[in-house]
Amino acid sequence: MKPTLQTRRKFLRTSMLGAAATWTLPVFLEKTFFALDALAADALTQTVTGKDGTILVVLQMAGGNDGLNMVVPYADDAYHVARPRLHLGADQVLKIDNHIALNPKLTGVKSLYDEGHLAIVQGVGYPNPNRSHFRSTEIWQTASDADRTLGEGWLGRYFDNCCAGAEPTVGVAIGEETPQAFAAKNPTGVTFSRPEQFRFQPSEPRHGQPSAEEMFFRQLNEAGSGEESGTVASNTGGSIGTISGKAKNDLSTLDFLQRTALDAQLSSDKILAIARKYRSSVTYPQGQLAASLNIIARMIAGGLPTRVYYASHGGFDTHAGQVNTHERLMGEFNDAVAAFVADLKQQGNFERVLLMTFSEFGRRVQENANGGTDHGAAAPMFVLGGAIKPGLFGKYPSLTGLDHGDLKFNTDFRSVYGTVLDRWLKAPSQLVLGRKFPALAIV
Amino acid sequence: MNMLTPLPTAKWTEATAAHLLNRAGFGGTPTEIEAVRKKGLAAAARDLMDVKSDAANVSPLPWAHPRNIQAQRMEIKAAKDRGEDFQARARQVRMMEGDEMLDLRRWWLERMMIGPAPLLEKMTLFWHGHFATSAQKVQDAYWMWLQNDTLRRNAFGNFGALVRKISRDPAMMIYLDLQQSRKEHPNENWARELMELFTVGIGNYTEQDIRESARAFTGYRIDMTTQQFRFAPLQQDHGTKTFMGKSGNLNGDDIIDILISKPACAQFIGRKLWRFFVEDDPRPETVNAIAERLRAHNFEIRPVLREIFTSAEFYSERVIGSQIKSPVQYIVQTSKLLDTPPPAAVAAQNAMRQMGQILFAPPNVKGWDGGKEWISTSTLLFRYNFANYLINGDAILPPNPQQRRQGADVGFGRAAQLTEQIHRDPIDIGKLVPADVRSKPREVVDLLATRFFQTRPAEKEVETFVKFLETRGADTTDATLRELIHLMMSTPQFQLA
Repeated sequence: MKPTLQTRRKFLRTSMLGAAATWTLPVFLEKTFFALDALAADALTQTVTGKDGTILVVLQMAGGNDGLNMVVPYADDAYHVARPRLHLGADQVLKIDNHIALNPKLTGVKSLYDEGHLAIVQGVGYPNPNRSHFRSTEIWQTASDADRTLGEGWLGRYFDNCCAGAEPTVGVAIGEETPQAFAAKNPTGVTFSRPEQFRFQPSEPRHGQPSAEEMFFRQLNEAGSGEESGTVASNTGGSIGTISGKAKNDLSTLDFLQRTALDAQLSSDKILAIARKYRSSVTYPQGQLAASLNIIARMIAGGLPTRVYYASHGGFDTHAGQVNTHERLMGEFNDAVAAFVADLKQQGNFERVLLMTFSEFGRRVQENANGGTDHGAAAPMFVLGGAIKPGLFGKYPSLTGLDHGDLKFNTDFRSVYGTVLDRWLKAPSQLVLGRKFPALAIV
Repeated sequence: MNMLTPLPTAKWTEATAAHLLNRAGFGGTPTEIEAVRKKGLAAAARDLMDVKSDAANVSPLPWAHPRNIQAQRMEIKAAKDRGEDFQARARQVRMMEGDEMLDLRRWWLERMMIGPAPLLEKMTLFWHGHFATSAQKVQDAYWMWLQNDTLRRNAFGNFGALVRKISRDPAMMIYLDLQQSRKEHPNENWARELMELFTVGIGNYTEQDIRESARAFTGYRIDMTTQQFRFAPLQQDHGTKTFMGKSGNLNGDDIIDILISKPACAQFIGRKLWRFFVEDDPRPETVNAIAERLRAHNFEIRPVLREIFTSAEFYSERVIGSQIKSPVQYIVQTSKLLDTPPPAAVAAQNAMRQMGQILFAPPNVKGWDGGKEWISTSTLLFRYNFANYLINGDAILPPNPQQRRQGADVGFGRAAQLTEQIHRDPIDIGKLVPADVRSKPREVVDLLATRFFQTRPAEKEVETFVKFLETRGADTTDATLRELIHLMMSTPQFQLA
């Protein structure tokens, strides 16, 4: 942890403190800002994990996605019987084999499958499935057993255990709320929805040059970089090395705040710099998910040293009038992912990226009286990327041997997480998930 | 050494008085701090604690009454079954619920800020986090209000009595599925959390204890017409249960009594109280001391609070200015210190969401962990930017709703059209800085730093503030002073109380 911290401090000293040591204005203003911008841009090309490491993109389908109408068992009579109004016919769907097919809207996803860039994991779930959105989401986010409550998220535990000393941008969530999956002992990762807004807003909107207020703001929020914040400097003895990932918690509260303030300032500068520098030439469709993936693609292009990106797509709780809603959602998902993949291919980064979808549960096999479906259990996950092993994994659950009307899982979602951790992020999954789950041949 | 020895009179100063107001309430202005200092610690503690009964006896909000929610839902279902358009009606009910929750949040924030009994509100907030219940699942603002009322009326009272009331609280019963618990299928959700989160803590009970106590809590029901608790004897399991070594036809209250008699309960509650009011990581001897006082006072909360707030330990250097303000504390205290009204309801609700503490919607039954958990890069930047809004008003937002999406992010990206609802005037600088001080940078900084910081910032920071004023030249306009205040609030130091 120590070398990274020191590198970070050194970088800060040369960029901010160095220039800011001169108090005369306006030289101070000009120098600091331009030096900062130049150095920030420079540093982006030198980062360790940004340009060469593998990247995980987690895509949450919030609300409970209807897996049956995403990966369709079109050859199964039971499917058509259970869903007189919602079923998708053999003539509509995009066939994978003689039994299953993709939703007609998933044309881009189908191409990925044909190209060998998509793994479909079928029948994913967990024992004693919970049908509450909140609870089941929590289970997926924390990778806990259904009867246990865990405080930290699975990605948070990955940050805690495997990324100590990394830059705060090691995890980036696009949105307004930090996902529970990021919850960690040592808060790591940044959350923003619009790069332009993830920064300190001075009283007067900026017109080109930063205002005096902004420059003084920087002064006040860089204390975490100096040796004078005693706890950091004096605590570099043996104890920290052994309690990996505890460092931030050992800091005094003020030190911790100063570190976070510094992280925020540092990452917002970088994120803004990248957002200004990189525009993709691929046209993304409208919509929140496309916008999120677009930001992620730009951050990847800019070499933000991030291992995990997180995006969310909402609205899957289709209790009534599902046909139109689900069709729209599938279309949005497909078009956004297709643009994202095209963008990554153009960048030459598709090999480095693995995108994984999940939803807190699938939906009931039997459609309800309102042309919708109620909360269910097992469902498929997509894992796609330039370097994954394609194909069908797991078994399609039986549509007749149900558990309270829901599909029974045959692949624990933590097998997917574990495989991604072990084989993609090269992180020991047991440390993160608490135990070893059977690996899948998706990576 | 007894941890709770009283604070020597000589140590009762402006700093300690300010600390009391921070922790036993939502902070004080210099005038309030001086008044509290003058009256002395004993009188100050008495005034905080021995609130008039009408402070807890709050009249309900206009909409907060039972309205037979069952009937409304049945009506929607009937319309649905008849094939009529039920969506519009359902949406209307949801909207109504949403507006009520907004109003409930506004009302509570106002009570915290200008109500007659700040400690009572703070203690109610403690219990809300302890008996965490979310409107997201309960989905009825009346029930959420009712629980809040129960917590407030019992905030300083007996802990055991409060647990018994909460076991009969409709919002909690829905939140933890207690009202679904039947003799044949006892629901273990409430039984588990009662032990794990509400009384003795994890590791102090067995799975067998959970199963047996779940049986004891059968028969708890909600009358959906009156929306109140009712007991259904026919649903109750009258068989013999064995719980923590005791056997018999135990009922829910028996279970609660047994739990509260356990040493682990005093430890668990004592630790949590100390964490909320005093410091994040209490030492074991401190927890023992507070647990001993809880037992000595038979779990009466008021005398225990009195001992905490008059103890030397509470005022130790280690404790003062070491706590990260919760988002709710941040919103209320900042508004107080700026001598402005609280933010508009929709702005406050948005800010709570962005900062990670939505009243009546804790993330889960564990409530809010607090402490360092409040702070991430995004919440910290949000705090800085929200201070900007509190200080400068909606002038910081571009006038055009389209541009607003690109503008200052104070959490209104989605609510860009709510121009009127988020309108806010800039603060009145005249209330904070007398005209004769304005032209003297050092005096201005001293005056404002004393007001805004519990612990005086490091000299380097003070110099930075002075420097800022000096670079702005002799003409210290209102705008400049608002910038200075925004700078002061955009610091790690300001997050502490």
